[in-house]
Amino acid sequence: MYNPKDIIDLIADNVRKTKNPFGIPKPVINQWWKKANVPQKGDALLFTGLMYQFVPYIETSTSYLTRFEDTKWADYLKYGKYIPKLLSGLGLAVITPLKEKKKFNGILMDITNILNKSKVDFYYDPNLDDYSGVLLYDLGDQDGFVQHARYVAAKLKRNGIKKLITVDPHTTYALKTLFPKYTGESFEVHTYFELLNLTSKNGHKKIALHDPCFYGRYLELSDVPVNVLSSVDIECAPIRNSGLFTNCCGGPAESISPKLSKEVGERRIAELEKSDDPIVAMCPICLGNLRKAGADVEDLSTVLARQAE
Amino acid sequence: MALVNPDFAQEIAKHGNETALECFNCGTCAAICPLIYEHFPRRMIRYIQIGAKDRILENAQELWRCLHCGLCTQTCPRGADPGEVILGLKRYVVADWRRS
Repeated sequence: MYNPKDIIDLIADNVRKTKNPFGIPKPVINQWWKKANVPQKGDALLFTGLMYQFVPYIETSTSYLTRFEDTKWADYLKYGKYIPKLLSGLGLAVITPLKEKKKFNGILMDITNILNKSKVDFYYDPNLDDYSGVLLYDLGDQDGFVQHARYVAAKLKRNGIKKLITVDPHTTYALKTLFPKYTGESFEVHTYFELLNLTSKNGHKKIALHDPCFYGRYLELSDVPVNVLSSVDIECAPIRNSGLFTNCCGGPAESISPKLSKEVGERRIAELEKSDDPIVAMCPICLGNLRKAGADVEDLSTVLARQAE
Repeated sequence: MALVNPDFAQEIAKHGNETALECFNCGTCAAICPLIYEHFPRRMIRYIQIGAKDRILENAQELWRCLHCGLCTQTCPRGADPGEVILGLKRYVVADWRRS
């Protein structure tokens, strides 16, 4: 296990100086929209919160954390905050495989494709799409979170944004629940799958759907993706511990203790694999961590985009 | 030896930690917690109740093993919201680190 103070100080410093936890300039991280068929004007702003874009960088950084956890080198992490952000951020960007970046950018393209197919009135503006700061909240850096959340909320308000479409449970929870409480600003927030209207003639399929904690318990949205899947003739296998009682993927511990994260992830995979059906996740953190723990996992949007007409 | 401080629960209330005294230490949270780790989070909640501030700070690293998954809160029979209690303790400890 790493010293939480070292991790928190590093992440808080990155968010303060670069507005994201990795210290990588946003134009380097957020490139998916350049090749996507995404409207530039519309009713609701697609707000990715940059979470899917972060996953390849999380995987690179946690591969190093895994290597040095509980060794004498772990103590050197505290000096990370003294490395210039541009240097450490761009360094991380360079060593992160392009194939992984393309894969996760592809998920966002799948989301825009199925929103387009569902005739949802939305648009995307990369200048308004920011990290929500939710990791600082989860780590207990309340001051850091509130300061960042106020920056994001004020920017959205200044640009007249009222409706947001989110793509992951952590950003959704931050915008729906935490922003009104801690910034005083409220928005109409929907996850993308709440807005879908899809059909299919591609035949019956069955999957093992992993409910993330934040959709299952905190936001109580588990029924919605099941119904959307059903509308395109995809059946969800019964999984032990789902919905309100879903089990964690282990992802939230990946920076503090990759070992613990893997152990919890493996237990969840064992539950999901009992069905023998392909495993599907709908949260970038779950997707990344279940893959790291050894499962072959696809994102909900990829499955929907393939199945929908 | 640990010093006890009956007013500690009030001291940490400002970090959003207002339900710890509801807990009657049944252990449901520790049983359902994916960490399966030394009576976590029950032991930390007990420390709040008796005001064992030093014990909390000595064992502070344990708090960040919490995945914030919410299973403990979902199953708590007293509505003591153990998940939020642990998050409140994280805020308290981070504030303590920043002060020192």
